[in-house]
Amino acid sequence: MIRNWKNKMRQWLTNQMELPADVIVDLPRITMIGHIHIYIENHRGLLLFTDRELRLLLKNGQLLVKGESFSIKTILPEEILLEGKISQVLYLEE
Amino acid sequence: MKNEWMYRLSGNLRIRIVGKGLERLLNECTRRGIYIWDVRREGEHSLTCYIFLRDLRHVRIAMRKSGCKLYILERKGAPFWVKASWKNSGIVVGLVVFICIVFLLSNMVWRIEVTGGNAETEHAVRQQLKKIGVERGALQFVVPTPESIQKTIMNNIDTITWIGVEWRGTTLYCQVVEKKQPKQTESHTPQHLVAKKKAVITYMFVEQGQAVVEVHDHVVPGQLLVSGFIGKEGQTEIVPARGQILGETWYKSTVVVPMKTTFYMFTGKKRETHYLRLWSWKIPFFWNDKEQFSQFEKQVDEKTFRFLTWTLPVIYEKVVWREKEVVVREYSYDEAKLAAKQIAREQLKRKLPADATIQGEKVLHEAKENGKVKVEMHYQVIENIAIPQPIIQGD
Repeated sequence: MIRNWKNKMRQWLTNQMELPADVIVDLPRITMIGHIHIYIENHRGLLLFTDRELRLLLKNGQLLVKGESFSIKTILPEEILLEGKISQVLYLEE
Repeated sequence: MKNEWMYRLSGNLRIRIVGKGLERLLNECTRRGIYIWDVRREGEHSLTCYIFLRDLRHVRIAMRKSGCKLYILERKGAPFWVKASWKNSGIVVGLVVFICIVFLLSNMVWRIEVTGGNAETEHAVRQQLKKIGVERGALQFVVPTPESIQKTIMNNIDTITWIGVEWRGTTLYCQVVEKKQPKQTESHTPQHLVAKKKAVITYMFVEQGQAVVEVHDHVVPGQLLVSGFIGKEGQTEIVPARGQILGETWYKSTVVVPMKTTFYMFTGKKRETHYLRLWSWKIPFFWNDKEQFSQFEKQVDEKTFRFLTWTLPVIYEKVVWREKEVVVREYSYDEAKLAAKQIAREQLKRKLPADATIQGEKVLHEAKENGKVKVEMHYQVIENIAIPQPIIQGD
C-alpha cells in the first residue's frame, strides 16, 4: 500500500518536473542504433545469452532481445552493449 | 566506456570458457568489477570473450565454484610485445652492433696516399704522420685537422716546401712539393770564375785554373777572377776553373723601430663550448661557463661523421674563445736602438747565403723622429764571390 503510494508519488513528480523517467523511476534505459546496436542501462543481470537471444533481468520483469549473430561488446554491472542483427525487443512481465 | 587503444596497449587475453551456467558466471564477473568485452557464444556450453591480463586472476577466483574451464586463446598488447621482443632481442642487438661497427669503420683512416715526393720523402712524411697519430686504423675524430697536419709536417720535414692534406672519404691524400735541391754541379765544361759583386778579396783557393787576381785586390762585378786558360802561351789548354774565392762585401740597411707599439697578447684564459649540430640546430652539450671576455679570438673546429658513403647531418663543433688583451710596449731610446740593430742583423742573415759570415757592423746614422728610432747600419760580410762563366768556344 505504502510502496504503491510511493511509486505514484514518483510518477507524479516525474510528470510535474519533466525529468527523465529513468532517473527517478528505476527503469531501464534502452538506446538502439538502427537494428545493429542496443544499449541497455539499469539492468539487474544476465539471464541468458546465445547468438540469437539475450535475456536480461530487470527490476520488475525481464527484457528479451531476439535477433542474429549477437555478441556482447561491453558488459558492466548495470550496463550492456549488444551488437548484432536485432529483430525484436520484448518486455516480459512477471 | 574506455578508449579502444587502452585495450590494445595494456595486455589483454582472448579466452574461452566452457561449462554450464555461463550467464551466471558473467554476472559474477561483472559484479566483481572485471571488465569483459566482445563476448560471443560458440555453442550451448562455451563462449569466447576478452579480458585484461591483470583480471585473469580474478576471473579464475570467480570461476572456482562454477565448474567451468578456462582456455586462453590469444595474448595481445604491450606486455606480450615486450616479451616477444625479448625473444627477438638477438636480432635487435645484432643490428645495433652492426650499425655501430659500420659507423666506426666508416670513420676510420683506411689509406694514406702520399704523392709528389720521392720514396725517401714519402717515408719521412709517413713517419711524421704516424707520430701525430695518423695511421691506418685510427679514428678520424681523434686525428688532427688537415690544417694542423699540414703545419706539423711542414715544420718537421725540411726537404718539402709545401704539403697539401685533404680528406677524401676514408683516404688521406697528401700532395707533397719537394724543395728543389740545387744539384752539386760538378761541371766539366770549360769555364772561368768571375766576380759576383763588388768586393775586396780576402782569401783565394784555386783548385784548377789560372788565378788572375790576388788577395786584397778590389774587384767589380763581372771581373775575371780565375781563368780557364792554362799553360804557356801557344800551348794553352782550356779547363773548367774551380776554386773558392772569398771577398769582403758591404751591405747597408735601414731599420725603423717605433718606440711605442701596441699589440694583442693572449692571456691564456679560454672558454670552450662543445656543440652537436643537427642540420641548423646547435645543441651545446658541454661547456665551461667561466666568464665573458671583452676581447677574444674565436676558433671553430668542426668534425663530421660519415656512414658508409654518406656524410651524416650531425656535426660536432668545438668553439674556443681565447681572451686577448692589449699590451703596450715602450722602448727607451737605447732599447729601441738595440732592437733595431738586432732586427737589421736578422734581416741581413736571411738575405745572405749560409756560408757567409758577418765580420763587422757599424752604425752609420741614428735618429729619433716622430716617436720612431731610425738606424742605418753598415755591415762587412765575408762571402764567396765567385760564380762560373762558361767559355764559349768556336771563335
